[in-house]
Amino acid sequence: MWPSQLHKKPYVTPQSTIAPFKLTVQASECGQVDCTRSRHLYQISRFPSAESVLRIWKSLKLAHLQRLSNMEVSYGAPPESVQKKFALPVDSEHKATEFRLFSVAAPHMRAFHLSWVSFFACFVSTFAAPPLLPIIRDDLDLTATDIGNAGIAAVSGAAFARVAMGTACDLFGPRLASSALTLITAPAVYCTAIANSPASFILVRFFTGFSLATFVSTQFWMSSLFSSKVVGTANGVAGGWGNLGGGATQLIMPLVFDLIHNIGATKFTAWRIAFFIPALFQTLSAYGIFFLGQDLPDGNYSQLHKSGDKHKDNFSQVFYHAITNYRGWILALTYGYCFGVELTIDNIIAQYFYDRFNVNLHTAGIIAASFGLANLFSRPAGGILSDIMSKRYGMRGRLWALWIFQTLGGIFCIFLGKVGSLGVSIAVMIIFSVFVQAACGLTFGIVPFVSRRSLGIVSGMTGGGGNVGAVLTQVIFFRGSRYSTETGITLMGIMIICCSLVIMSIYFPQWGGMFCGPSSKVTTEEDYYMSEWNSAEKERGIHMASMKFSENSRSERGRRVESAPTPINGTPTTQTLSSALEFVKRKEHAEKITIKPIKEYAHTTSTSICPSKLEIDIASIPKSLIIYTNKFFIAKPKFLAILGD
Amino acid sequence: MAIQGFLVVSLLFSCLAATSYGLTFSSLQESLIVTASPKHGQVLSAGEDNIVVTWSFNKSLAAGTDSSYKTVKFKLCYAPVSQQDRAWRKTEDHLNKDKTCQHNIVTKPYSSSNNTFTWTVERDVPTATYFIRAYAYNSADHEVAYGQTTDAHKTTNLFNVQAISGRHVSLDIASICFSAFSVVSLFGFFFLENRKAKMSQAK
Repeated sequence: MWPSQLHKKPYVTPQSTIAPFKLTVQASECGQVDCTRSRHLYQISRFPSAESVLRIWKSLKLAHLQRLSNMEVSYGAPPESVQKKFALPVDSEHKATEFRLFSVAAPHMRAFHLSWVSFFACFVSTFAAPPLLPIIRDDLDLTATDIGNAGIAAVSGAAFARVAMGTACDLFGPRLASSALTLITAPAVYCTAIANSPASFILVRFFTGFSLATFVSTQFWMSSLFSSKVVGTANGVAGGWGNLGGGATQLIMPLVFDLIHNIGATKFTAWRIAFFIPALFQTLSAYGIFFLGQDLPDGNYSQLHKSGDKHKDNFSQVFYHAITNYRGWILALTYGYCFGVELTIDNIIAQYFYDRFNVNLHTAGIIAASFGLANLFSRPAGGILSDIMSKRYGMRGRLWALWIFQTLGGIFCIFLGKVGSLGVSIAVMIIFSVFVQAACGLTFGIVPFVSRRSLGIVSGMTGGGGNVGAVLTQVIFFRGSRYSTETGITLMGIMIICCSLVIMSIYFPQWGGMFCGPSSKVTTEEDYYMSEWNSAEKERGIHMASMKFSENSRSERGRRVESAPTPINGTPTTQTLSSALEFVKRKEHAEKITIKPIKEYAHTTSTSICPSKLEIDIASIPKSLIIYTNKFFIAKPKFLAILGD
Repeated sequence: MAIQGFLVVSLLFSCLAATSYGLTFSSLQESLIVTASPKHGQVLSAGEDNIVVTWSFNKSLAAGTDSSYKTVKFKLCYAPVSQQDRAWRKTEDHLNKDKTCQHNIVTKPYSSSNNTFTWTVERDVPTATYFIRAYAYNSADHEVAYGQTTDAHKTTNLFNVQAISGRHVSLDIASICFSAFSVVSLFGFFFLENRKAKMSQAK
């Protein structure tokens, strides 16, 4: 199918003068990837140095990769018309390259604000009951076992729902998936007002808890709209500010209850009316997302699917690669002992302070709130710290930071159960909250690198693992009257420390683990991420996004000198062909390519067939020679260009 | 140096003293006789039914025992069956930690005999099994004696209260309406989304 003979013929050699040079880039037929409606725009400008040859190669390669993934190609600065459309600077995929917190510009920042507000609303609803439990337990005649079961029910639904949400985002887009889930769980919150028995109470808390799956849609949406430079920050802030709801609700609900009680309702009616507030908030946020949000910078999924601009992956393959990657399972377990612990504390802490230290409902609410409110800065800080550690130490730094912070969280949890005075207890709780929430942010600094193809499901698994951890912890330590709450807290701290030890077993062959360096066999990022695709899929060329990601992920090697075999120093000027190939292949992805577009050299718009030949004029070609063959392009189309001498 | 040491010790001692000062229930004398109108096992409705309480000093005790009693406070207390698996109603010997009696009935000035009053069960009393206890306070407002309607093991003369549910028909209707509205809007969303996609395809 592919004319391999074609690639052995050399083309016109340039003169070393400024005479125009014709570079014929011959592309063979397109693969099965839909080539219709793609526009190809190649911009090449003048280069003074030998380095520039590398750039030509890179830019052409990039252009071809982009073409295969059916996106408009432009690099350097996108054409004026595209730039004008977006309020924020964007990259070639139209993902925002800057994160401006105080802007609400569509579609990027608007989507950010909509998603964190709706996630916040879901958290408020899920944890609206705990601060009012001293009233509810009398009204519904609940025992400690009932309360424990309700707390478990609240977090158990989302354990499975988070995995399903990852799939739904893939199929329908985060906007529709999250607004649908938020809207369908709102009735559970409305019906909390009419609960009249322990069984009905447990049921409403169970169904309300499903809304916590909006975490996955938040992270997925941010990853679709923000480039990899700022996606960590966007994810961390969105996740952290959503989790804030667990803290804010401990303040909001007692206040709302007091207001309604003072207006004249009896206690047992006032708490019921109070539940309408989080329910209405949740409904409104779902409306906001549906009408004001947008899945991708270029439009919504349903439009893009119908117009053929978006390609659907094979669900069973994606699922298989997610569940066979052991790192996903380990992170799911450890996330259960930072985020799961956070959920558990959200459930028990108000009652703990009310009962053990005899403070009133208000004060217990404020103290409990300060635990969740620390999310305002601690989870984003965890994400930022992960990126800082990675710059210096690569992936190993991220793993060490996660282990250290999570273990420290466990240590302070042990203290929290032991201290008996109110003031010290509050202080320890706040320190504990900072460590535990930073550990959550640090976990999601590692998750994006576990798998590229199955990112949605791996994120869903990790998120779900958080909920499973919450369920386990509450079942073992905080149900019924076997352990007093303070003993339960101390034992939970010990369990955090033990479960965090498994982080030591995470090992990436290309980057290493906590105690081992990278594999002694030559393993690159491409080898790791390409192992998720089989050769048939590579033939079709649908793996290109993973290729690009592998290149970008080289930053996870940290600052150390590249220890991959035979690094070649200097630029390829008079080197042999094979060493030039080596150099180009192994060169680290470092500096930004700054190419100033001078003139559009070639432009084609095809509607039904792919262009087979493009002629590009290049002025002042450097002397070096690079041949690139299908070694670099694992899929079609392959092309060969010989430049220069 | 010695003075600092002394200050520290005295501070610690006073803290210790403060915590151990708390009165214990077992140190109180049961010198009041309290009876209440509900029979054993009777169910009262919160907000509607009345309790008639009669109380007096136990004349069989020595004469001057009640000289320090100034006020008597009556409380509604949980019976053991309502304390099971509910740590927030636990009985502790230290009176300032004891959670058995959480509902105040009334406070009366002390008089040794012929005392009676009627109390309507308040609307915020939860569904549970109760008995009534009276604490006698001295002029420094510390408990000095008590009396209760039940025996020492809290097995006799226990009555039940059925609380209000707090639900109203209007609340029920509002909940159902809003829930239905949410579900209907969801279908509306899917319909709108399909229509938008078809329109953009037709373009």
